[in-house]
Amino acid sequence: MLSRRIYQFFIIYFIGLAILLLFKFSLNLSDYVIPGPEEILKTGRRYSGQYFVAVLDTMMVAILGHFLSIILATMVGIIGRLHFWIGSFIRVAAFNIQAYPIVAVAPIIFILLGDGLSSRLLIAAMICYFPLLLSIIGVLTEPVTEIEHFFESTRRMNWRLQVRIRAFENIQKLITVIVGSATLAMVGTIVAEFIAADAGIGYSIRIALFQSDLAKILIALFFIGLCTSLYLVSLEWIGRRVKKRWE
Amino acid sequence: MMLSCDTIHFQYPGTTTQVFKDLNFQLKTTGFHALFGSSGVGKTTLARMISGQMQGYTGSIHTNGAARILFTYNLERLPGWSSVKDHLDRNTPPERRGLLDDLIETFGLQNCLASRFAKLSLGQQNRTNLARYLLQDFDLLIMDESLANVDEVTKETIVLKMKALFPERGFLYISHSVAEVAKFCEAIVVLRSHRKSPQAIVLRGQNHREGRELDTESYEQTMLEMVNAL
Repeated sequence: MLSRRIYQFFIIYFIGLAILLLFKFSLNLSDYVIPGPEEILKTGRRYSGQYFVAVLDTMMVAILGHFLSIILATMVGIIGRLHFWIGSFIRVAAFNIQAYPIVAVAPIIFILLGDGLSSRLLIAAMICYFPLLLSIIGVLTEPVTEIEHFFESTRRMNWRLQVRIRAFENIQKLITVIVGSATLAMVGTIVAEFIAADAGIGYSIRIALFQSDLAKILIALFFIGLCTSLYLVSLEWIGRRVKKRWE
Repeated sequence: MMLSCDTIHFQYPGTTTQVFKDLNFQLKTTGFHALFGSSGVGKTTLARMISGQMQGYTGSIHTNGAARILFTYNLERLPGWSSVKDHLDRNTPPERRGLLDDLIETFGLQNCLASRFAKLSLGQQNRTNLARYLLQDFDLLIMDESLANVDEVTKETIVLKMKALFPERGFLYISHSVAEVAKFCEAIVVLRSHRKSPQAIVLRGQNHREGRELDTESYEQTMLEMVNAL
């Protein structure tokens, strides 16, 4: 059974496509500007395999970047919850750095690291890292007084217990943030590929853009949306399992 | 002297309302005492000051002979990832396993052990929370509405058991119930508005114990004194 998220993607995608075709036929635009349904289907049949592989490539980088971000944000968040200077420093730094558009730094990363996997991975991780970090710091710095009081009073509190209590009490919020940041990871990877990579669906879109081939871009968008939705569905499923196991 | 509050002055930062103005009282011995007063008069604030969780006041609080002070209140929760039994087992020192079993029986917690804390009724939650505090090291336990939502019969069983089990310890019971405070407590600190002087009056309660007859006339007199003192 398809998840609601997949249905929603199909609905949105085909509504978007229908609007595009409505524009084409109502304004009598040429196939060069907006290709007709036949051209889109033909391109789909011809490039589906190639684009699907490219999306999977992008997806792998995005997932890897996303997981790196989650691990790093959790580690930094644990330090950032501290009341010492290091905690305050991390919180202030995170708030200030996240306000800066990471995409703008992407060219520097490509200049320094080249257009291979490492650049794509770093940009993907950086784009979803800061929203994750801010949320995790927010969750971990907020005391759950009515639970923590006993452990503080009886001197049983340690950092692991504190993190566990706060994470447990905000598990739904954390799951939502992780699922939300997955889209950012995908966006980050595609943007990185679009700027200067030599692989992935972002790179394929860049080539299609140079060819002014909207049909190819529409096919690429279809696979991006489908795979992103599947990834989000998987994360939501993992989130439900974790929640069920903890509760 | 178990507890002594000397010329306490306090007002919350950013407010103009004074909570305590020249507050003085003494509790000379350990035992089951009460902090009684109208809602908003500062009972919880004072409890937090005594337990060392709140600073910023002038004057002094002496807790001679009560080095380990615990403060518990009725909104506390147990972590939700394990059962009540797991939590109690994990937080009970090994030498108090026998006491744990005793408290489970007295507090009527047998049916709650397998459940998660969130699934319990409010009364069961309060009983569970109080039981875990009684298993800890303490010289003075401040209980802020810790037996709220517990029926009268169970409440009496619990209080009498606590008095029997911990005769050398100090308890400061915060409650709005005139009847139960007058009946069970030895000394009753009636906390009044800062506009009244003195702000605290210490009355003698009935200190009812297991196997001791309650003097109804004296009990009614105590309740009357408490109400008049407010």
